[in-house]
Amino acid sequence: MEHSLAQLSIAEAAKKLQAGEITSVDLTRACLVEIQKRNGALNAYLEVFADAEAQAKAADEVRAASVSKGESVSPLLGIPLAIKDNILVEGRVASAASKILEHYTATYDATVIQKLKKAGVVFLGRTNMDEFALGGSTENSAFGVTKNPSDETRVAGGTSGGSAAAVAAGMALGALGSDTGGSVRNPASFCGVVGLKPTYGRVSRFGLMAAVSSFDQVGPLAKTVADAKILFDAIQGVDPLDSTSVSETLYAPSPLKKKIGVPRHLLGEGIEEGVRAAFDQTLAELEKNGFELVDIALPSISFALATYYITNFAEVSSNLSRFDGVRYGLSKKGDSLVSDYAKSRGEGFGPEVRRRIMLGTYVLSAGYYDAYYGKATAARTQLSTELSAVLSGVDAIATPTMPFPAFAIGAKSDPLSMYVADIFTVTANLTGNPALSVPMQTESGQLPVGIQFIAAHGAESTLFTLGAAVEEATHKVA
Amino acid sequence: MISREEIEHLATLARIELREGEVESLQKDISEILEYVGQVSAVQGNTTVPIVPLNHNVMRADVPRADGDALAGKEEAARVAFPKSENGYNVVRKIIQKDEL
Repeated sequence: MEHSLAQLSIAEAAKKLQAGEITSVDLTRACLVEIQKRNGALNAYLEVFADAEAQAKAADEVRAASVSKGESVSPLLGIPLAIKDNILVEGRVASAASKILEHYTATYDATVIQKLKKAGVVFLGRTNMDEFALGGSTENSAFGVTKNPSDETRVAGGTSGGSAAAVAAGMALGALGSDTGGSVRNPASFCGVVGLKPTYGRVSRFGLMAAVSSFDQVGPLAKTVADAKILFDAIQGVDPLDSTSVSETLYAPSPLKKKIGVPRHLLGEGIEEGVRAAFDQTLAELEKNGFELVDIALPSISFALATYYITNFAEVSSNLSRFDGVRYGLSKKGDSLVSDYAKSRGEGFGPEVRRRIMLGTYVLSAGYYDAYYGKATAARTQLSTELSAVLSGVDAIATPTMPFPAFAIGAKSDPLSMYVADIFTVTANLTGNPALSVPMQTESGQLPVGIQFIAAHGAESTLFTLGAAVEEATHKVA
Repeated sequence: MISREEIEHLATLARIELREGEVESLQKDISEILEYVGQVSAVQGNTTVPIVPLNHNVMRADVPRADGDALAGKEEAARVAFPKSENGYNVVRKIIQKDEL
């Protein structure tokens, strides 16, 4: 795609649209050409909307009308985006990549979609994911794995693998994903794009299918940090339809300290050498640019994965109990009402979803509740306290986003080996802090890997500053 | 290792009909995962400060919306999603049956 418009960032495209050099129809067609070329192999989109060009034409008309009236427009007007399949768009199928919702049509717009519609975005299609956002590689989709645009024998990451692959391959200018334990940052790292998990509550979840309600956040995937900011600005904000959403002013702004905390005790074994080298080099570049590196310790992080998964299982088993074949979705008939439920759920849910529901049922059962869920909530509080203390002294905590680059499809068939790959990402979900993954400089021919920054609650702007500093350093080296 | 009976009981509680051969693989996977996440049992001894979990109920009063209903006008779309409907109603199986206890 040498000279394709699909290569443009959102900011660049918005400038060209504004200047009248290109139209949204041009941009949308350029993305559709890339989709035509690569989606067959990559399986990033589960569905490409047939009316994408019509939406672009409408956006061009809105622009023409606004220009003639001298009104300013959103930087997202006419920008073609991809949407993860667990975010509701009225009148479109929303399956969460599950057989149980294969033919389910959304009855209303998610708040984030309403906001993007108001901005005049072009929706290209819905993207592949791990079923109900449970996984870390998009291999748990009921509709086939999404492949990594850098190497088609490897996974795109997950659970927002389709969204990340679509952006990386120029099949969309940006995308929305959702992040429960790293589901935006993990595929961003594997595919070489930017991914943001906002502060818990900064983005409304009305119309996002609930996986783990105390972790879930909608987040943008983009080519640049500036684009991630444009998308975040467009979707954030308090929403009366989501009682967990918070206002921008809830958290006091913290001035930049130019200090980055590095938990060296976490960076020992288990991290691939190339990732480690890229991480050290990125930190060295930031140090050269005036950031002080501070050694920090997070002792409770040794419990983070166990705490995360217990909470995940518990909330998933509860949230997914709504899928029973009675009101919508796959409905199978057994010989009683209870067997109707069991048949619909048994056939509708894939293996990982079934496993997690059963694990959640176990950890919440009377005899085990205190030993698992009770302990997990205590560990979660302890970790939050530690993280807050550390973040009062530094702007952000830096780690690699993932301990390794994208792995081969099928390489992690054992569920536990997949879970432990989330070591760096789950903390921000446990504590509700915002976190950003930005591609690091790698040797040519190497697979993409990301650096992750975790900042204080409400400090997305700090993350954008740090992310831009990494981009600057990366371009300098390149 | 978690027993076959326990897996079957969990499946009943979770309202999931298991597939052929799934009990055995679940016995192995669930046992391994529970052993791993069981690490949290050590958590209390690791701190000098008593831990108060964040989880508690926050009560709030219902506030009527100015526009009446967030989902007003979506009734037809919701009805279309019913697996089985009759005269605009969702048809579900009779819950109380004569032959039940």
